Amino acid sequence: MKATLALLASGIMLACIAPASAASQYETLDYYVQQMIAHAAANDATGVGTFQEQLEQLRRPEAGDSAKARPYQQQGLEHLGRNNLKQALAAFRQAFIADPIDPEIAGHLGMTYLRLRRFKEAERLAVYTLSLAPTQSATWSVLGETYGQTGDAPRAAGAFVNAYRFAKNPPQIVERLRQLAAADPETLRAGARQALDSIRPPADSPAAASSSLPTPTEKPTAPPGPTPPTNAAAPAGASSAGPAPAAGPAALSAVLGSLKRGVENFSHPPAKATSETGAPRAAGADSPGQRIYRRASPLTCLIVTFRNGRKDSLGSGLLVSPDGLVITNHHVIDKADNLAVRCGEQESAASVRGRSRKPDLALLATALKSAESFALNESYDPNLIGRDIFVIGNPYGLEGTFSTGVISGLREIDGVRYIQISAPVSPGNSGGPVILGDGTVIGIAAMGLKAGQNLNFAIASTEVIASRLFDPERMKSQPLAGPQF
Amino acid sequence: MPARRLPLALLLASHLLTPPASAQNSEQNRYYVQQMIELAAANDDSGVTAMQRVLEQSPKPTATDPAGARAALQRGLAALEQNELTAALSAFQQASRADASNVEASNYLGLVYRKLDRLTEAESALQLTLVLEPARAVAWFQLAQVYGLQKDPHRALGALANTYRFAQNPMRAEEILRNIAENETVDTLRDAALAALRLYRLPAEAVIVPPLPANPDIKPLNARPGSRSVVLPKRPAP
Repeated sequence: MKATLALLASGIMLACIAPASAASQYETLDYYVQQMIAHAAANDATGVGTFQEQLEQLRRPEAGDSAKARPYQQQGLEHLGRNNLKQALAAFRQAFIADPIDPEIAGHLGMTYLRLRRFKEAERLAVYTLSLAPTQSATWSVLGETYGQTGDAPRAAGAFVNAYRFAKNPPQIVERLRQLAAADPETLRAGARQALDSIRPPADSPAAASSSLPTPTEKPTAPPGPTPPTNAAAPAGASSAGPAPAAGPAALSAVLGSLKRGVENFSHPPAKATSETGAPRAAGADSPGQRIYRRASPLTCLIVTFRNGRKDSLGSGLLVSPDGLVITNHHVIDKADNLAVRCGEQESAASVRGRSRKPDLALLATALKSAESFALNESYDPNLIGRDIFVIGNPYGLEGTFSTGVISGLREIDGVRYIQISAPVSPGNSGGPVILGDGTVIGIAAMGLKAGQNLNFAIASTEVIASRLFDPERMKSQPLAGPQF
Repeated sequence: MPARRLPLALLLASHLLTPPASAQNSEQNRYYVQQMIELAAANDDSGVTAMQRVLEQSPKPTATDPAGARAALQRGLAALEQNELTAALSAFQQASRADASNVEASNYLGLVYRKLDRLTEAESALQLTLVLEPARAVAWFQLAQVYGLQKDPHRALGALANTYRFAQNPMRAEEILRNIAENETVDTLRDAALAALRLYRLPAEAVIVPPLPANPDIKPLNARPGSRSVVLPKRPAP
């Protein structure tokens, strides 16, 4: 009977733990590929190199049967040459199933999907192929065309820049980009043109002589990759003790060191606030946005998660108490073995003090000290709609990105109250603050709709206040200030 | 504990604490395999994991003759290579009897039963395989094929969902699912593959089923010897 009860207990316990899913493996690959795109679009060779290394360090899938795959691959190439796309798809598919770690086969399968205008499949295969061979120029080109065909010119441009960066025959890529710059649809043309502009500065530009161009096939001189500790300091979710995880000083120091390197590798904080939606203001003008940014920026946190000894993902958080309590989303820290947090100039390891799947929230304990902390706004009523909001976070690792918008609506989804906002929110913003003009936090950025534009959602602060995570002795809340006109 | 986990926990508790008098461990374990299928079809990650852990921690049968089992397994594989299914079946049965914990033996036994169209026995052998190793993707895939042949779309979906969940290379599994969803001739399995892709929000092209090909062996009813002519009623004038 004891054994039975033990099984029962483990079953019940595990029923509360989300496992790593097969889908999340793809998301990891996609994250690194997207980072390479973002850094390529910013002409940041170091950043591209860093994430290229991250991809190369991932564990490779099991090898397949290359002898079995070869005839199928040959058939696929023949069909592709004759433009028999469905037959080519069938052949490359069989080849891929036989040997899924051959990047040539996976790349051809992705290309065939692209030519069949099955863009979602093309994207997935291209991302997977790049995880096997991050310098495969043809696949970067396929990915760029896929994004161009699906309305995403900026990503198309970044992917095309990488196609050029890793090309063995750069003039061929340039020629291809010229063709695409005259092709349909408009986003494909725009992506190709942006890439051409990026890789070929004007001939009379002084930069042309000194060449800040990414050199094709040149391996970027990336800093050494972060090396987080392999031993988990404390399993996330198991610990609720103190501000520091239950690890020795060496492990703690390693986490902090890793955080520092990781953050440096991911991005460089902007020298000054940049607005994604607002136009630059005249020097000396002190806009509400600038005031909010100055005050809120040091209280907004970058959260780096580590899993199986490796840096896993990035998210955002907000400092809600003078003694270092940080709120973020549960999904940010869900699968982490270790956590590190940076708020302003301060860094600390973190442990999970409390978590809740619904609403999607987590409370982290850190060793940070701050005279100031965010106050949570107690309001959730239609008067909020139309108010200006400000979002700070770390989308795609771009630390301290500031954006603005308005409250577009109030939504209750699956029993949880959300604030719908129009400010841009991207992966990495999760867990960050959505701030009203009075400096209070009205929501925690949580999710967005892929379809449509700027349809994003923040968990209402009232959900935090109503949850068991809220500690009124240590955290502040306040009602809505007067109307802002 | 999240509220939605409560029914699962209570179900588990009620099953463990009040088993039917005739229930044996193996029956309980098969029940958990079925639960993994049900929960996977409902895309309940945590539930599947909970059942998987329960199975992994349950006592395993002991081997009576491991060396004999290995030898029989090799004979079975050689026979299977030659497509001698009856000889392979006999060898795998012998291997399974000699070592009930030999997961390879029970998996191949299930495969051969399926090839011989003995679907009930195939299901049983594959369930036993999954009791021994609940994360064995290939056994989930073969079980899905069995359910497809048995025209059980719900279980086929659950088993395919677990195939993807436990696949070592999810992209390969995804492509296999797409291949089945677009090309499989067994309707149940094809539809289940499409449903599994949608369950995981993976891209899938809607299948367009072509018209059935003309089959010269099937003649109109009224043309068969001894059959009566069928006279269609006249339609009323519009």
